[in-house]
Amino acid sequence: MNATFMHTFIRPLAILYPMAKRWLHRFHGGVFPQTYKSLSLKHPIKSTPIPERLILPVKQLSGQKVAWHVAVGDTVQKNQCLVRAAKENKKGIIVPIHAPTSGVIHAIEMRPLPHPSGLNALSIIIKPDFKDSALNNALNVNGEVPETPQQLKDILLNAGIVGLGGAGFPTFAKLPNQTGIINTLIMNGAECEPFITCDDVLMQTHAQDILKGAVMIAQILGIPSIICGIEENKPAAIQAMNAAAKRLTKKTSQINITIQTLPAVYPMGGEKQLIQELTGIEIPAKTHAIDSGLLVFNVATFAAIFKAITLGEPLTQRLVTVAGLGLKHSYNTYALLGTPFLTLANAGQPTHSIQDPLIMGGPMMGFQVADNHVPVIKTTNCILVQPPKPATEIMVMPCIRCGECMDACPVNLLPQQMFWHSQAHEFDKVEKLNIFDCIECGCCSYVCPSHIPLVQFYRHAKSEIKHNHAEQQAAELAKQRHEFRLARIEREKQEREARIKAKKAAVKKQAQKPSDASSAKSAAMKAAAARAAAKRATQQESKQEIEQSAQADEISQNSPPPLSARQKAIDTAKKQAAAKVGSKVAPNKDPRTSAKQAAKKAAAMAAAKRRAQTSLKNDSNVTAPKTEAKTDSNANPTQTTEHSKQTMNDKRTQAMEAAKKRAAERKAQQESP
Amino acid sequence: MSPLTPQSSPLSSPFAHNNQSVRQLMFKVQLAVIPALLVHIYLFGFGIVIQWVLAFATLLVVEFTMLKLRNRPVRPFITDMSAMITATVLVFCIPAGAPWWIIVSGTAFALIFGKHIYGGLGYNPFNPAMLGYAFLLLSFPVQMTQWTAPTEILDYAVSFTNSLHLIFTGNLPQAALGANLDMISAATPLSQLQIGLTQGQGVTESLTPIALEAQTHYQNGSVINGFFYSTAQFFSLNSWAWVNVAFLIGGLWLLAVRAIRWQYPVGFLSSLSLISFIFYTIDPNTYPPVDFMLLSGGTMLAAFFIITDPVTSSTTPKGRFIFACGIGILVYVIRTWGIFPDGITFAVLLMNIAVPLIDQYTQPRVYGHK
Repeated sequence: MNATFMHTFIRPLAILYPMAKRWLHRFHGGVFPQTYKSLSLKHPIKSTPIPERLILPVKQLSGQKVAWHVAVGDTVQKNQCLVRAAKENKKGIIVPIHAPTSGVIHAIEMRPLPHPSGLNALSIIIKPDFKDSALNNALNVNGEVPETPQQLKDILLNAGIVGLGGAGFPTFAKLPNQTGIINTLIMNGAECEPFITCDDVLMQTHAQDILKGAVMIAQILGIPSIICGIEENKPAAIQAMNAAAKRLTKKTSQINITIQTLPAVYPMGGEKQLIQELTGIEIPAKTHAIDSGLLVFNVATFAAIFKAITLGEPLTQRLVTVAGLGLKHSYNTYALLGTPFLTLANAGQPTHSIQDPLIMGGPMMGFQVADNHVPVIKTTNCILVQPPKPATEIMVMPCIRCGECMDACPVNLLPQQMFWHSQAHEFDKVEKLNIFDCIECGCCSYVCPSHIPLVQFYRHAKSEIKHNHAEQQAAELAKQRHEFRLARIEREKQEREARIKAKKAAVKKQAQKPSDASSAKSAAMKAAAARAAAKRATQQESKQEIEQSAQADEISQNSPPPLSARQKAIDTAKKQAAAKVGSKVAPNKDPRTSAKQAAKKAAAMAAAKRRAQTSLKNDSNVTAPKTEAKTDSNANPTQTTEHSKQTMNDKRTQAMEAAKKRAAERKAQQESP
Repeated sequence: MSPLTPQSSPLSSPFAHNNQSVRQLMFKVQLAVIPALLVHIYLFGFGIVIQWVLAFATLLVVEFTMLKLRNRPVRPFITDMSAMITATVLVFCIPAGAPWWIIVSGTAFALIFGKHIYGGLGYNPFNPAMLGYAFLLLSFPVQMTQWTAPTEILDYAVSFTNSLHLIFTGNLPQAALGANLDMISAATPLSQLQIGLTQGQGVTESLTPIALEAQTHYQNGSVINGFFYSTAQFFSLNSWAWVNVAFLIGGLWLLAVRAIRWQYPVGFLSSLSLISFIFYTIDPNTYPPVDFMLLSGGTMLAAFFIITDPVTSSTTPKGRFIFACGIGILVYVIRTWGIFPDGITFAVLLMNIAVPLIDQYTQPRVYGHK
């Protein structure tokens, strides 16, 4: 009631005073960039193109191993699992990768990532066979709604589902383990970035799937209400979702589904902004939405969840908007994960051949990719071909403290002061101004009349502050160590002095009272000798016990001489090891030299790779740690030095072990005749 | 990423901009002055146009020289129009018939010592125009208080050539009336009031002649005169008040296009109204009424064009309001109990000093920090 009154009053006012639109939403600030959404909306969804090669980057986190299910040359079916987190990872947040189409594993090599850093990552290259033959129900689900949250989490992990809105955090890891923690499930259909329409199109075409996915989650986690927020500039989506919600509500009356129309303002799709708009709740700083009993997912994530639960289909494709002012034909398509950006961009009939870097995401928060051949990944919602060019030549002017940035900031920060301090490298002051609450939405840069790249300054400041903190911690640790060392040295010195003093005093005393002292001394000596004897005796006993237990199964002697017993124990251990080596080391002729060469020379590496592949083929399902380490290091020669060092160390220890075993064998042979 | 580096396109997001620029912002402020300028020309003659041209010429020379000396690119900074606003404000502050070297030295002082020596646009702690005005008022008090009388008092308009003669020679040509300087200058209502009060007259007695002057002048004549007559009769609006109204109109437009923030005029005008209302209620014979306070001197010029300078004022929303209220109260204090008839200059400069402190204590609550 109140809201509609506000709307009828403010809408006409916005003609006179455009920024009156800011009074229509509950969070602070926000901007109203031109949306350009009709560019891609006026064309129907394009059929999925299958490119010549699919590139699937394997996400690697430090200290987390992955288990390979395929090797180069393998034939794979669509939906087949290619790689997943190794079982030994205790806190695995790597989700599995599945083949988006059928084909052959062409290579496993380093390729550029669609990431602001432009770094390379180990990627699986699939050569599609264009048959697109698929595994049905690849996840082995029974099509029924799982009963416990853990079952749901397992399915989501196996399906490789991550948040499709942008951050790409694994969905299973976001879910709580218990039911009843969440009181509202929020569906993010705001899609506030200009150009992007993939969520809009998805809601128009798959409203039922999206809502069913949400209802399933709500049922499993015991969530009483679902709210879906959609910006008002998507009337068709709102209508479709409303119709679907009506149908679903008849079936599931215990869950309350609301479709809410939101004012169109950027960044409405930000998680915290959407929550504030829909529920009025302000998530306290340094906590997550889940701490306030809220769970937020993008609408596309719900659709993927629905497919995984009911059809057992993993996440292998997603709806992507390919749009921009540089295209004659902007469109949406279900792109296979791994499709190169340039393939999709060229399908949109570019006005000029594409030379400038493409942008992943929208113009407000997207980033330029380092190479236009980077693949579509799970978080690629848009490929932007040419953002709107500035009307005038950009000239960065000094800050005039006009406060436009402050009025636009959805987090209510003081951007101009943060800029002022970060420019002066006063990072402690920047931190005090709560820079870590900045969501990097770019509203401040968007409105700055001086064209200062504000958000870029904040990104820099954030990384500087993090760096400084890490350095401070290291320095603090070093300081503590140093102080501890000084204290220890001081203590030892004092102890020594005390001892010397005591000795001196004793000597003095002795000199003064010889008779008394000598008697005391002899008594003390006797006592000490007795103690020592007792100690020796117990030691002897315990030693014997240990030795006995060591060779209990072979020899049973009452009091063997200690040295020979140890020797025997070692010998038996060596023999056992030798027997093992005999069965295992056989194929490796000279592991030590091969290991060294593998680490040093490329030729040797190729040889090792071939061997590794054959061994992998032999047992593709078994992931013995040894072979895994090999494939890792071989397929991945230019990876971080740390990694290669580690594998080198591994190899060295392996070689050393093998050498020891060989020596033991030889010994055994010499001994036997 | 140092400022001043031109970029063809941003390296990271956002890749969009609302296409606003400092130049556009300053241009809007410049446009908003036009109603006041027209009214001033109609009511006070062409003196102000000559002053404005002089100020503009000075600023071109000063800006060019200073930018060259400071090794800064000349074109982007000379065309950012920020110096234009400083000059324009200064022109409105000085008497229209003041000698030419007043505006030239004032503009030069304002730009050099008010802006460039601090590092140029965006780095100056004091409002440059007010600094220039303070310099003039303290250095040349006689020339700065010989206010050109409006036509309603003179009963004739000072022509363009006569104004030119006056500004460059300090005298009117003999042909024109054979008059001397005193005949075309008059006290502003604010100084009239101050003089009246010191001579033991009450507020009404001091101000009545001005109101009557306007009524008698516009009694007969054209449609426009008729309009001014009726306003003079019913709202007792004199020429100075009319200029203020024109500034108010321009200022409201600036608010609508977001060139200035509402906290400045609202804070300034409301605090000034409140304090004058309180004192007027206590003793109406010693303290002038609220409408007189709001429409005399440079009140509206200050409210919309002087204290709104973002560089030298507080940046937080609450801070802006406190800053503006502080100026409003100081203006009243100086007008009523100080030795200067109008106190805007010193009020603004004093509050400029307090800005860092205000900013420190008025930081808004960040999202999630309850």
